[in-house]
Amino acid sequence: MAAAPTTDWRTKSQSQTRLAFGQALLELAAKDPDVVVLSADTQDLLGIREYIELYTERFVECGIAEQDKIGISAGLATVGLKPYVCGYAPFVTARGLEQVRNDLAYAHQNVVIGAAASGISLGVSGGTHHAVEDLATMRSFQNMKVIVPADVSEAYKATIWTLGQDGPIYIRLGGRTPEPDITDPDAPFTFGKATQLRPGNDVTIIACGATVEMAVRASDALKKDGVSARVLNMSTIKPLDTDAILKAAEETKGIVTAEEHHITGGLGGAVAELLAEHRPTKMRLVGLGDEFAVVGPTVPLRARYGMSAENIAAKAKELL
Amino acid sequence: MAETREELVKRLEGQTNKIRRNIWRALKASGSGHAGGSLSAAETLAVLYFHKMNIRPNEPDWEDRDRFILSKGHANAGLGAALELAGFVDDDYVNRFYAMDDGRSPFGMHPDIKVPGIEFSTGGLGHGLPVGVGMALGARIKGKSFHTYVMIGDGELHEGSNWEAAMSGAMYRLTNLTAIIDANRISQSAHVAEIMGIEPLADKWRAFGWEVRECNGHSVAELVDALDALPYGNNKPNCLIIHTVKGKGASFAEDTYLWHQNAVNQEIYDKAIAELETV
Repeated sequence: MAAAPTTDWRTKSQSQTRLAFGQALLELAAKDPDVVVLSADTQDLLGIREYIELYTERFVECGIAEQDKIGISAGLATVGLKPYVCGYAPFVTARGLEQVRNDLAYAHQNVVIGAAASGISLGVSGGTHHAVEDLATMRSFQNMKVIVPADVSEAYKATIWTLGQDGPIYIRLGGRTPEPDITDPDAPFTFGKATQLRPGNDVTIIACGATVEMAVRASDALKKDGVSARVLNMSTIKPLDTDAILKAAEETKGIVTAEEHHITGGLGGAVAELLAEHRPTKMRLVGLGDEFAVVGPTVPLRARYGMSAENIAAKAKELL
Repeated sequence: MAETREELVKRLEGQTNKIRRNIWRALKASGSGHAGGSLSAAETLAVLYFHKMNIRPNEPDWEDRDRFILSKGHANAGLGAALELAGFVDDDYVNRFYAMDDGRSPFGMHPDIKVPGIEFSTGGLGHGLPVGVGMALGARIKGKSFHTYVMIGDGELHEGSNWEAAMSGAMYRLTNLTAIIDANRISQSAHVAEIMGIEPLADKWRAFGWEVRECNGHSVAELVDALDALPYGNNKPNCLIIHTVKGKGASFAEDTYLWHQNAVNQEIYDKAIAELETV
């Protein structure tokens, strides 16, 4: 069976990582008869209607019941199937937290979670629909791999990469706000390795997901001011690319982390944990502080909490 | 020569007694543990492991084996006792139940999937049935005919995830799935009815779309009949409610929350074994 033509999935992804995940499932299902997909009334959220039509017998709708969904995925994995769980990031990680910890991480089951609507991407939905703790919880679980794609190319390739991997994987996906292309579409997905998107020797910006594009714009703006800002796309949060971070700490004056997440426990926390022990380095952490975001459209809402190219550039300058 | 029904029942009663002895052995070796809920499940474990389930103890990962998940994971002393008797693990495992891992996975207070014969790690309550739904669905997708059994405590049914799974089991008409409710009526702090009432239990399962049977969980003959009657039909998943006594077989531990989890010393062990000698 032929894989979907390259341009097809790209068009259908509509510059949204959540839809790229759903498109990648078509390629995976064609490739491997053990792929199964689960949903908690999240069929459109992850763009899997085409999958359901083609692979009805390998689709499990679990209803709005995240605990059951994760448990079922674990049970499916025990018989040798390869479950892909589609969910809302805020619900699958918080409501299903103990199931993710016990049934997937502790029991070491090969299940991939595609978590859409992460961060404050569903801005107007309010705090109940924001997921700003998921990186902190997911990366704290042993055996768990955590991936945060920056655009549809990376989301598609990362999802394809997960097939046949050992242990559970959490893929953090965006919401309905288009995510501009920022990674090299022809480069392979490099799990566990940061990708350098801009060279630089004054300061380093480490970003993941939606903030990667902001980091690149920040670097370009800083360049005009004579500041050379390295940009690392840290698309794997666990395991962390410690080499790239330590190298940046050694070669530049400081590190700014940027993430659509609380500044506690996520990317910034992970980088700080590493540097505190191995190479204390001046840092600035961009992300949501210790507060619930107000209701608002995603892009201005991000900016309000410092998730913007302008603020990332300003934070970088503080480190010079 | 085929075993007569009388011989079958007698044999399984003998295995039940050995399971109870093994439970006390494991608890004594560990110094403490969950006697009550392990002892209430002994007959059912005996009928499953020595009559009903299609298993190969020397090939624990055989892909066509029937699956048993102990969702009430704190009764692991009971499961470990049965697994040792069935030959999944050697005798030494029961003697070193909570021993720190020296390269071989010990049992511990709750089941760990790494131990041969244990189908899933449990302990947090309300996890077994969703996983069992996944196994039963997985059997269907893979074209396998194995059956999945999930033993759930009655107090455990307070956890809402059970009822999510009850819905999905019925939705997918999982006739290859059986929930066994160990209705010993007692949880950690008091009688279940005093903590949070769950009655009418059988009607609840029926309302959720399951085919329900009930039996005396300490009658091997009734258990054989109830399990041999599977699947119960009507294109529904199966629920067997076993009415049991917590702490069964040790007069001092029966029907009291005080024996949910306890320290077990030589004196208690001797007392329990002496009672089992008279059976």
